[in-house]
Amino acid sequence: MQITYHQQRFIAGLLFVVPAMTVAVVFFVYPIALTLRYSFTNWDGLFPQAEWVGLKNFAVVLGERSIKRVFFNTFYLVVLYVPVLNVLAVLLAVHIHNVARLRNVYKAIMYLPQMLSLTVVGFVWKVIYSYDGGLINEAMIRLGLEWYTQDWLGQRNTVLPAMSLTIVWSALGYFILIYLAGLSAIPRELYESADVDGAGPVKQFLFITIPMLAQAITISVTLSAIGILGLFDLPFVLTEGGPGYLSETLALRVYMYAFAQLRIDYGLAMAVILGVISVLAALVLLKLFRKREEVYG
Amino acid sequence: MAAPGHRRRSRLVSNVVLILFCVLTFIPVWYFLNNAFKEEKYVYQNPLTITPRQFTTDNVVRAFNHIKYGRSFLNSVIFVTTSCTLLVSLASLAAYAIAVVGGRLLGAIYVGFVLMITLPFGLAMIPLVSLLRDLELLNTYLGTSLVYTATAIPFAVFLYTGYIRTIPRDFEDAARIDGCGMLRTFASVYLPLLGTVTITLLILRGVAIYNDLLIPLLTISDVFKVPLALRLYSFATERIIQWELLFAGTFLVSIPVIVAFLFLQRFITSDAIGGAIKG
Repeated sequence: MQITYHQQRFIAGLLFVVPAMTVAVVFFVYPIALTLRYSFTNWDGLFPQAEWVGLKNFAVVLGERSIKRVFFNTFYLVVLYVPVLNVLAVLLAVHIHNVARLRNVYKAIMYLPQMLSLTVVGFVWKVIYSYDGGLINEAMIRLGLEWYTQDWLGQRNTVLPAMSLTIVWSALGYFILIYLAGLSAIPRELYESADVDGAGPVKQFLFITIPMLAQAITISVTLSAIGILGLFDLPFVLTEGGPGYLSETLALRVYMYAFAQLRIDYGLAMAVILGVISVLAALVLLKLFRKREEVYG
Repeated sequence: MAAPGHRRRSRLVSNVVLILFCVLTFIPVWYFLNNAFKEEKYVYQNPLTITPRQFTTDNVVRAFNHIKYGRSFLNSVIFVTTSCTLLVSLASLAAYAIAVVGGRLLGAIYVGFVLMITLPFGLAMIPLVSLLRDLELLNTYLGTSLVYTATAIPFAVFLYTGYIRTIPRDFEDAARIDGCGMLRTFASVYLPLLGTVTITLLILRGVAIYNDLLIPLLTISDVFKVPLALRLYSFATERIIQWELLFAGTFLVSIPVIVAFLFLQRFITSDAIGGAIKG
């Protein structure tokens, strides 16, 4: 049988895709399928023993007294972190775009924290927030604000804002770069004609810069929201979810169930809950912002 | 046109704001860098200043020995190189087929890869450890590197496909007329054109793997194979009250990426990152 040129290309094409697909399926997609399946069983992590238990694992993890706080912590971080990070990143990107000479120096310094391991970031900030001798409290004492010193990571009211500040510090440089890419694509003429029309810098920012950045905003908001939902390393090093479970997030709880308490079954149910929330959040945000982008054209 | 005075004033405001933020951003970095080289008492007395009299390399030497720096660093390098080599070769080859051959089946596979980008690692984490154990890949360089490869393949395929689609078809046709097979066309025509995307990908992934704590925490318990980030975690958890050692440890783990950053900075541009994300 004669193989035509097109058939030959088709077969070669498939062969080229197979290695990448195999690795992604075996070490990523297949374990996800197992998570979905075993979350309805009493599996203890050893194949193949597992009995169907229906929704029991979900009932247990959602019935825990601390679960409300864990959901609250996760959404509090998203709501606090995503807007603060993106507003700061847009503003700083606009300022960097506005200067000429030192542009690369500013970019480099602000990107530097992004290069550091979150293990490093976690330990350094743990010391910065320390009650005794930590940088923040030391600075306050020397400025005569002794009365305001706190155990920043040890208290209900300060632990989550402190954690978000650290995450903003570490992620800011990356998002500044995304917005700078967006800014460099805006045609200069738009600003020139706005100048002619007498629009001031604030008006130009609101009516030219922001609408033209719509795509970059979509990407950044979605990335930062998904990023913080799945974030593990930093909370794990900085607070381990403490004090108590007052800064525990959904991603941390998956780990705690499965690898600290060795309740694989509860860990799986928690992982499914986290997965559903992350995927839904990604889809909703993308849809929401895509509509915006269309409005602005 | 804006008046020159107005322009200059706005630049001045921008510079002031940026200098302020750069100082704020740099303080935590300076905090651990300078304290890594000070005697213990000065860490508490003068947290942000260092004089030649206070300088010591004791902390760094002690931390260096404790975290078995040479071995741990080598382990990190092995994970980074193994996984990056696999990632770049597998993903670029798949993307080439998707972008150049096309067709309904490959199109569907591409959509599959893109959908995988939205799935968080936590969803795969628990059975993955059991799976690695059953395949006897737990505690091996290859197993852990494969996990890093698998989680990054969807994004890398997406990135490469987007880029290859911008390359004119004429290249492919010319190579075909010259009698090149597909593998040859890929290797000698397309691969060289993928240089910039590949460098961006290598930097992003290399730094991410070098810095990662979670995956070694789950998959590596053999002390001989532990990478730097995980070693630092155990070291620092035991010494959270000995700040001078903690800072020395964070300095030692960070210095390779800081040096790499100084050299590779020109590749970490807004266009590279922005392009990497938009595809």
